[in-house]
Amino acid sequence: MNSVSPSAVQYVGTVMQDEWVESRRQQPLERQGSLGPRPPSLSDPGSREAAEEPDEMDKLKAKLVSAWNNVKYGWTVKTKTSFNKVSPVTILGHSYLLSSEDEVERFRGAFVSRIWLTYRREFPQLEGSTWTTDCGWGCMLRSGQMLLAQGLMVHLLPRDWVWPDAHQLTDVDFEVFRPRSPVRAGGFPIPSFGSPRGSGTPEKPQTSGQAPKCSQKSRPESAVEQQVEATHYKLLSWFGDQPPTPFGVHQLVEIGKGSGKKAGDWYGPSVVAHILRKAVAKASLSQNLAVYVAQDCTVYKEDVVRLCDPSQSQNPGDPSCQPWKSVIILVPVRLGGEALNPSYIECVKNILKLDCCIGIIGGKPKHSLYFIGFQDEQLLYLDPHLCQSVVDVTQVHFSPEVCFLTHMFHHTLLLVSKQSSLQCISTVNSVSPIQAVNNRVLTFFLCNTCPLITLQSFHCSSPKKMPFNRMDPSCTIGFYAKSKKEFESLCSAVSMALSSSKEKYPIFTFVEGQSLDYGLEDHSSSPSRPPTHILPPGKLSRSNNRQNSDEFVFL
Amino acid sequence: MPPFDKNPLQNKPFKQRKSFATRKLEVAGIRSKFPNKIPVIIERYEKEKYLPPLDKTKFLVPHELTMTQFVTIIRNRMALLPSQAFYLLINNSGLASMSLTMAQVYKDHQDEDGFLYMTYASQEMFGL
Repeated sequence: MNSVSPSAVQYVGTVMQDEWVESRRQQPLERQGSLGPRPPSLSDPGSREAAEEPDEMDKLKAKLVSAWNNVKYGWTVKTKTSFNKVSPVTILGHSYLLSSEDEVERFRGAFVSRIWLTYRREFPQLEGSTWTTDCGWGCMLRSGQMLLAQGLMVHLLPRDWVWPDAHQLTDVDFEVFRPRSPVRAGGFPIPSFGSPRGSGTPEKPQTSGQAPKCSQKSRPESAVEQQVEATHYKLLSWFGDQPPTPFGVHQLVEIGKGSGKKAGDWYGPSVVAHILRKAVAKASLSQNLAVYVAQDCTVYKEDVVRLCDPSQSQNPGDPSCQPWKSVIILVPVRLGGEALNPSYIECVKNILKLDCCIGIIGGKPKHSLYFIGFQDEQLLYLDPHLCQSVVDVTQVHFSPEVCFLTHMFHHTLLLVSKQSSLQCISTVNSVSPIQAVNNRVLTFFLCNTCPLITLQSFHCSSPKKMPFNRMDPSCTIGFYAKSKKEFESLCSAVSMALSSSKEKYPIFTFVEGQSLDYGLEDHSSSPSRPPTHILPPGKLSRSNNRQNSDEFVFL
Repeated sequence: MPPFDKNPLQNKPFKQRKSFATRKLEVAGIRSKFPNKIPVIIERYEKEKYLPPLDKTKFLVPHELTMTQFVTIIRNRMALLPSQAFYLLINNSGLASMSLTMAQVYKDHQDEDGFLYMTYASQEMFGL
């Protein structure tokens, strides 16, 4: 049997199913050539400058690096994460005390329903480069995508929505007593909650023993639920790694070029915040949503109002006046020099306790993570560092009817497969014509209309934690406000959380008025001059003037 | 990565280049000449890779100048775009609120030698 991608194995239970999924996985790749939904400008090699064509050596190098990263991030060492049952776990404004099974259920729903975006491989080549994967460089972009996805979820889905197909948690322990060290200490797994697998052994992320663990109870039956499911799928499809999607890696890398970044570069939380702002502005979704990025740790309230209230920029008498736009507020900060300033920890916790918080993108040094909560002195995160095969979202249909059918089909299929009546799926020639046709229909249906299989790779079932003191000081904090009223309460709630800092001054502030009042350049009008990320050679000579540098500069 | 200055003296932080006594004398001298100005030392974070070095480290700043204005002046000296990350860390650890005046920051955070020390840094990049 061929090697199977982690995302695929995660879902299937038997060898037979492995092969189906494998064939499903390869299909989008084969189809790329013939269908190619990419805009002409992307596929036209003539539009690229010859000088930008990477030479053979670079191509080979890029391929080797890609191959290495695919191996490196293609599997993970599974270690169990311990959660104690004494102190609450917080996920984006909600707290769960894991001492009762009900609360564990709610915690599972809250964690697994978050959208998880990871490295992907074998996506269409990024324009102007040889990259077909972001393994080893794109983790901050992925964290940014997760932050935006969370913002879009609270924007478009019902409040506290839980994915009905949320799988069971894996690799977790729930301990009765507080652990004495970050490593398990005196804990024991509760069989009904955790998975029965051993910890610490390197293995493929999911073994074939991991049968689909969808909760069997809540099928979306009502029209409303079907609609919500369809929105969920649609939202995920915006993050697919194909050039036409609004928030896929292709679009984000393209927008990042305006900030002096290119495919293969490392990204920072602030750069990504601006990329997300531009991506949402550019997206033709018209989801009535805007993104505001704070500058110099200051949110200018008047600027947010101007961004969200179209009546301020339109003619006052315009009948087509749109309602107040919802807003995602992103605040890039630096919480210390070399390491996180410990006096900010309390403040970060209080921010994550807020309902309006949509998470923090940052990480350990050099290693980006998306922080969504905490327990005691440890941050809870989603990790983008798993290289999964690309999912061709342009090939998946996301209508409510299909979603419903898919659910039905999916479960019928499981029943059928258990009875082994369809074991000949891969050797179609050896079975009767009728069965062969049935199988083909089945395969076609699976490959084209079964988003559930691929959806599993967009949700994570193993929560991970890391100590606060390993958090890199560079990060971007995200908030969401649906209405003007919510924005007002956001300002006061966040200011309150910020004042809890042990430092003399808060991490950032809300200020009345607009940045222009303070002599700052307008946010939206970005000048055409290139950013000076790196010192131009000519400027060095300035600092050679030793005696001058010792004089005071009068301001 | 931009090449660092070759001069080893220049690489050392201001505090290490001059003794405490020298620094204290320097502050006393400048304060007596310009009582309405605050002596501020601005240095690049030692591991900063993206922001250019400043040609000057010593600044005399009016009391009433706000942090916003001060940051804008420094940003302009470096010709940074508004969207480029730039943070001033007081004593290399905490952020200062932009609405504060220099006098307030000086009152709370001046060093024993009489200078106010600030470090500037952008953000780290992530990729592994």
